[in-house]
Amino acid sequence: MSIAAQNKSPASGPGWSLLATSTPLGNFLLPLLLTLALLALSFTARIQQSETLVWSFRAAVAALLGWLLVQFLIARQRHEVRGFSFLLRPQHYIQAMVQLSVYSYWGYYWRPVYDHATLILAQLIFAYVFDILLAWSRRRDYTLGFGPLPIICSINLFLWFRDDWFYMQFLMIALGFMGKEYVRWQRDGRSVHIFNPSAFALGLISLVLLLTNTSHLTWGQEIASTLTLAPNIYTYLFLVGLVVMYFFSITLVSGFSALTLFGLGAIYSAISGVPYFLDSEIPAAVFLGLHLLVTDPSTSPRTPLGKIIFGMLYGIGVFALYKILGMFGVPTFYDKLLCVPLLNLSVIAIDRIVSSINSKTLVNVGHSSWLGGRLNLVHMSVWIVLFATMTLLSKTDGRHTGDSLVFWQDACAGNLPNACGRLLQLERTYCGDNAAWACNELGLNYREGNLVAADAEQSYRFLSQACELKFQAACANLLEPELMARAEPLELDLRLMLREGGLNLLQMPLPDLYARACDHGWSYACTDNRNQL
Amino acid sequence: MSKPEILKTQTLAANKTPGRAIGFTVMSLLIFFAGFWMQRESTSITDAGVLNQAPLAASNYAGFNANQWYLPDDELLGLVEIPAGAFTMGSNPALDGMAYENERWSSSQHQGAVDLPGYFIGRYEVTVDQFNAYLRATATTTESDTSAQPGNFPISNITWAEALAYGRWLEQQLRESSATPQPIREQLRVGAHVTLPSEAEWEKAARGTDARIFPWGSEPTFQFANFGGAAMAPVGSKSCPSCAHGLADMSGNVWELTRSPLQDYPYDAADDLANLAADPIYAMRGGSYAESSNNVRAAIRGGVDPGVRSPTIGFRVVLSVL
Repeated sequence: MSIAAQNKSPASGPGWSLLATSTPLGNFLLPLLLTLALLALSFTARIQQSETLVWSFRAAVAALLGWLLVQFLIARQRHEVRGFSFLLRPQHYIQAMVQLSVYSYWGYYWRPVYDHATLILAQLIFAYVFDILLAWSRRRDYTLGFGPLPIICSINLFLWFRDDWFYMQFLMIALGFMGKEYVRWQRDGRSVHIFNPSAFALGLISLVLLLTNTSHLTWGQEIASTLTLAPNIYTYLFLVGLVVMYFFSITLVSGFSALTLFGLGAIYSAISGVPYFLDSEIPAAVFLGLHLLVTDPSTSPRTPLGKIIFGMLYGIGVFALYKILGMFGVPTFYDKLLCVPLLNLSVIAIDRIVSSINSKTLVNVGHSSWLGGRLNLVHMSVWIVLFATMTLLSKTDGRHTGDSLVFWQDACAGNLPNACGRLLQLERTYCGDNAAWACNELGLNYREGNLVAADAEQSYRFLSQACELKFQAACANLLEPELMARAEPLELDLRLMLREGGLNLLQMPLPDLYARACDHGWSYACTDNRNQL
Repeated sequence: MSKPEILKTQTLAANKTPGRAIGFTVMSLLIFFAGFWMQRESTSITDAGVLNQAPLAASNYAGFNANQWYLPDDELLGLVEIPAGAFTMGSNPALDGMAYENERWSSSQHQGAVDLPGYFIGRYEVTVDQFNAYLRATATTTESDTSAQPGNFPISNITWAEALAYGRWLEQQLRESSATPQPIREQLRVGAHVTLPSEAEWEKAARGTDARIFPWGSEPTFQFANFGGAAMAPVGSKSCPSCAHGLADMSGNVWELTRSPLQDYPYDAADDLANLAADPIYAMRGGSYAESSNNVRAAIRGGVDPGVRSPTIGFRVVLSVL
């Protein structure tokens, strides 16, 4: 979740006292019904697909029912009432609507998102019951609204556990809410949670996954790389981001995050000759994160200068973590997740630094009396111009230098920094997509031992895959251990390797395909014969 | 946050929010549990992966030695030496009315003579037990259900690349084992490899040097081969003492993969790498249990995509200097 509650004075809804008095269970009826709904979900076809998933649901239901029973008995023994207050906060429902729109658009092009809908619903139910019980365990009324919705939506925009480990998803949610409840500090005289709940859960679990080398138990890598399957995803995220910016004044945080990343990337590229991120100036998942993950006002600075610093630090953090994670050979998609809790911890320090600056002009940078409440609109206007400029420079949607395998081959041959690593990374990705050419190249790389340590078994595995994908050169390489046979990519390989982060090009007419290949630097595809196919 | 601030926070929390210490402890325990559990899962996945990859334990059939990778229990582990020399390859329609066009040597010649150095070839097709031994030893997975047939049946439903991988593994075992028979050890020493036969090696082993149409002679018979039926049979179940070199199942039972791309004759191993941009189709020989007599001749040539699995396709190995 990025926008958390700021208004701490809940207003009671008229219907809830009626609920409390009209049934023997009182207010316990609502969490009980929700828990039973979670149990009912375990009988749906989606959940029945996996035995572990079924048992994960039943274990979650059992835990919630047990906790509910304990609370019920305690309340009865002490003659206490466990109650609700009712409050709808725009921070919650607007944020959630934006997140759901991202799911809708992304899922249209990557169907596992829609398949995941039942599991998101289950997590939401679990989150409501857990949050209710947590509040009641603290002898506090529960503020009923849309609070858990953006937390769940936010978590699932970045990390899901696979079905066989889905119980960890429930655990992650529990940690998020517990972090919100128990990890708090005094800020501006009020006890507030330190961490953005979703970012806290994501950060902790990411750390665990990294330390235990179990990233493959999640969909994290797929989530990070499939956002770009949706056409014009940057423009889409930019547009829905404007909604959040308009309502919650987060423009400075998002804008300066983007600007910092763009600037650092441009400097790196100018010095090294290769793009910093593999296939974009700012990875789409990071672009999503800087709009919807890091922008929680209750866990970020309040002054304009503080927000600018916060945004810049996020950009620097992502930039640095991408490099660090890459150096350790672990998945880099954690870059956008790991730095948010650290940034949340820095908020008081940022506030203190900002308040120590003895200049009201600087602290309230951009503030002007004649602008009044329109200041955010000015920030948004600047951001719109900035994004438009980036788009005009082809730095958002569309073709990116790093999309071309030939570019990385040339860069690797020229010993440019990280180029060979990136080339291997791309070959792995495309081989994973069943592009035979890429598998043959990978196999030869492992045979040769120049770009990567020689490994006969890995080499044989990739060459076998390429051969079975009908790449003759790979079959020849399998037959002769000393051979280094190479050939141009097959037509199907081009359809997979020229997708530029988007959907494959299975429907693209051949002349267009070869023209695109030529544009990517495949010289064999540039002949008149190819283009006139 | 400075120390006094933390203390102040904790004091406030202790006074106003019951159960915070317990909650914090539970949360910490959950984090440790998550770490511990993920580590454990990670380990168990690796272990389970190996276990799941291991096919069912192989049974020991008479004539095969479980201690020697389930190879035939004879002096040369089921390998038969084919002496060096020339043989006649391809078909002459004047002598073989069932010949296909792709068996013709050239536009001017029906058959050709091919001279080969000496090599060894398996007496039998590679069995389910033998292939499973390889899978178990290397923790390799295959899409094929290798427990679907008894252990002494020919392995089938494997790809061309998997067949090669088996040969590669067996060669490694033979090189490392002290029990490897001396003639085999000597072949390995001079650079021979365990692999699929070339088309020429296969055909010479099947028809000998006297240009037979079938491995046993010129007329089809069910006595020596499993063909024209509905099911495969254990390897060697139709013994064929009159067959060239005494090899079993060179006709029928399962088609046998070769390492030669399916190309027009005249046969020349040097052509194998001539067209790397072409679709790879590899020659397979011998026909299967499901074929009629014309398709189990020694010169029959089929072709298969290297990624294809079929219940009628298996292989045998050679020990050959490539």
